[in-house]
Amino acid sequence: MAQTVPSKIGSTQQARSPAETLLSIRNLRTAVSQGEDRFDIVRDLSLDIFPNEIVCLVGESGCGKSITALSVMRLLPTPPVRAIGGEIQFKENDLLTLSDKEMRKVRAEDIAMVFQDPLTSLDPVFSVGSVMTEVIKAHRDLDTNTARTMALEALQEVGLPDPEKRLDSYPHQMSGGMRQRVLIATALVLDPDLLIADEPTTALDVTVQAQILEMLLEEQRQRHMSILLITHDLAVVAGVADRVAVMYAGEIVEQAPVDELFEDPKHPYTQGLLHALPHISVKREKLIPIPGVVPPPQMMPPGCRFAPRCPYALSRCWQERPELEINAGRPLRCFNPQPFVA
Amino acid sequence: MKRIAGRTLYTLLVLFLASVAVFYAIRLSGGDATAARLVASATAEDREAFRELLGLNEPIHQQYFTYMGRLLSGDLGVSLTNSSDIFKMLTFHGRNSLILGVTAFTLVFAVGIPLGILAARKRNTWVDGAVMTFSIGGMAVPNFWLALLAIWLFASVWGLLPSAGCCSPRQLIMPAFVLALEGIALTVRMTRSAMLENLESDHVRTLRAGGLSEARVVNKHVLRASFIPIISLMGLRIGQIVGYALVVETIFGWPGLGQVLVNAVLRRDYPVAQFFSLVLVAIVVAGNWAADIGYSLANPRLRKT
Amino acid sequence: MRHNKLLLVGLALGVIVLIAGVLGPQFTGQDYATQNFQNVNQPPLSEGHLFGTDSLGRDLATRTFVGIRVSLIVAAGVTLMSMVAGIVIGMVAGFLGGWIDRSIRGAVDFVWGFPLILVAVLFAAGFGEGLFPVILAVGLVNTAAIARVVRGEVLALKEREFIEAAHAGGLSTFRIMWRHAFPNILGPALVLTSYYVAVAIIAESALSFIGLGAQPPLPSLGQMVADGRNFLRLNHWAATIPGLAIVMMVLSVSLIGDGLRDVFDPRLRHEAKGVDD
Repeated sequence: MAQTVPSKIGSTQQARSPAETLLSIRNLRTAVSQGEDRFDIVRDLSLDIFPNEIVCLVGESGCGKSITALSVMRLLPTPPVRAIGGEIQFKENDLLTLSDKEMRKVRAEDIAMVFQDPLTSLDPVFSVGSVMTEVIKAHRDLDTNTARTMALEALQEVGLPDPEKRLDSYPHQMSGGMRQRVLIATALVLDPDLLIADEPTTALDVTVQAQILEMLLEEQRQRHMSILLITHDLAVVAGVADRVAVMYAGEIVEQAPVDELFEDPKHPYTQGLLHALPHISVKREKLIPIPGVVPPPQMMPPGCRFAPRCPYALSRCWQERPELEINAGRPLRCFNPQPFVA
Repeated sequence: MKRIAGRTLYTLLVLFLASVAVFYAIRLSGGDATAARLVASATAEDREAFRELLGLNEPIHQQYFTYMGRLLSGDLGVSLTNSSDIFKMLTFHGRNSLILGVTAFTLVFAVGIPLGILAARKRNTWVDGAVMTFSIGGMAVPNFWLALLAIWLFASVWGLLPSAGCCSPRQLIMPAFVLALEGIALTVRMTRSAMLENLESDHVRTLRAGGLSEARVVNKHVLRASFIPIISLMGLRIGQIVGYALVVETIFGWPGLGQVLVNAVLRRDYPVAQFFSLVLVAIVVAGNWAADIGYSLANPRLRKT
Repeated sequence: MRHNKLLLVGLALGVIVLIAGVLGPQFTGQDYATQNFQNVNQPPLSEGHLFGTDSLGRDLATRTFVGIRVSLIVAAGVTLMSMVAGIVIGMVAGFLGGWIDRSIRGAVDFVWGFPLILVAVLFAAGFGEGLFPVILAVGLVNTAAIARVVRGEVLALKEREFIEAAHAGGLSTFRIMWRHAFPNILGPALVLTSYYVAVAIIAESALSFIGLGAQPPLPSLGQMVADGRNFLRLNHWAATIPGLAIVMMVLSVSLIGDGLRDVFDPRLRHEAKGVDD
């Protein structure tokens, strides 16, 4: 629908080679200040997203996934959190060097974002339609009626029941699933090239989760957009991802196409995540959780950040920091990868 | 609508209970009432006759209904100390209090809200620090003392403003500011914290992700959401202004309702105390009601249910 | 950081005020009521009078210190009463729920809706002037205010797992309230109480100022300010010094309250925000 908008035709209809990256994050470093001290929450993070693909960023909570996403959107709570190094190349621009005004044009128009908690992410004092038209009019020189029609179409497309009535509804009058559809419609209304979805189904009922994911996939196919899906749920990853990046303690530890990753995970952390997943470890007697928790940014171990929880840690792992290096055809951050025993 | 009707009914009930409570409280002092009018040499019979005249010997619930009947018919008798007609006192002093109260109320929010927004937007800068210091100070300084300092400096030392009296604009300045100060300080704090909370909230992040300009996010969405708690504050502030007016009017010799009530209590002029207590209580209850309704109207969560 | 400093300032002011109120009168060694018409309206640091004298020649320092003592006693008494009553009422309402909760809430909202000064004036009209109606009014309104907040805290607490677990474990409601809920409520209640100490000090002095509070010859800071106002041109110190004493007391408890809130309510520390994934 929104593909009729002139500025978009060129970019969506033109065939792209897979080599042409849409978003390219290079050595991103994001840190939090506490008084005089500064701690890295995201360190040396590089990730490419190509047109028309779904990339999943996976990891336990507290590992820096959301901070990465907010760094791309430049929506970090600054101060105290700030992206202090690296580049985020989107099309021909480095997002980190854009002016605030230029960055505002990028948001929603080029890169849109959907957040985790639909209950708190909608403005409680304005109707759904008024916020959506406001977003549209911030980017397009349209009158209110046209913008409203666009909003209505977007709501129809995400499968919101009774969309005309919902335009004048307030968030508290809708269920969590409906609110998440509204948030997705708001994100998609300007037909962005990239949608960042931060745990979009975590707060929802299981049945609703499946519907929302299905709808997101459908939208991705129709619009030929890319999605960066942030999740801790490997079941979701298996169902939707083209490629997967596994994140631990602010770093990417392994990256691979989804089938390869599930078939042959190399990093002990990825293996641990898979062991904790029911249908992968079906041959086992029981699920094996990874012992321990992600260390907070103030207490990072000096060597490999996963060493304290790793069953295969060598003394080298405690002293030296592994780099993200190509290992068996995929980027891997590990000194001592072991074969995966399902 | 249902909520508004419910709150209105509740308010009427509160008004009734409050009027009964006030009536009984003041009747407790009924024995003393005779002292205001009678000289020390009055005999027991004289006092008894006087009580009879005021209707103080009837059963107390009967007194209440008699009193309310007379109130509704506009016949409340006269002051025991200066024989003025109580209803005429209401129009005169009510007008003065209205001038002072409305000015102070306007000042509270016209000064407090912008200062709070300023402090929130300049968070952790010296501007924020200065505004918050003023706010903490404003809440710590008792208003009667501030009134005296103001009179001493502006009237006695510098001779800029008249020290007391009513009701020219120049005479209004000091009492209005003194009456407003604590409210300003509180409004600044509330506005600032509501703004900060909303500035970092999820729904505002959604708007930023939608590419809205920061100015628009703040001026429209953050302000609107922050305004809801401030509306509750406004209703409470009406009550607080009524309370502080008792003190401030007395200091500045501003002939309003508060001054009348305080003097009546001090002189045991009990018909006056009775009536003006009821008037002030009614104003407070009405203020709380207005805040409640305003809150319901501003908050979509309550508006449509 | 900043708040810790303010807390220290608050504590320092509090210590000064306490020393002045407790030991001050002994230190000056004079009587607060002794008049001396040969020596009226003296400025501070005049012979034998640290703060000078008032319009009746009474020693201002002694009167200020005794006034502080009166304020402290009234504030402490009122606060202790309203804290105990407020916590009990709020916890009972929150825990028992049902009609008990509804009627307590009705009563509490009723009282809480009225400005303190007006309530005190009405009480003074009923009982006559003096400290008693002041204490009663401030105590009543503050009790309602504290009960409101405590009730809210209890309702939030009831949803928490450990209270549910205690219920499931078959502990009696009273035991859960006392052993498990009370320690969690004490923090917020203390923060709130420090605010109401300030309210009590201001209200007592304001009422004494208009002549409805402490009655002469007992000195009260508010009443001293009132006495001093007629002699502002001659000797403003008789009004400014007791006023400053009130400001110091109120500032002290407000700063301590702000500091306590930071200790008990880490949610308000913005520094830690946004770090979580």
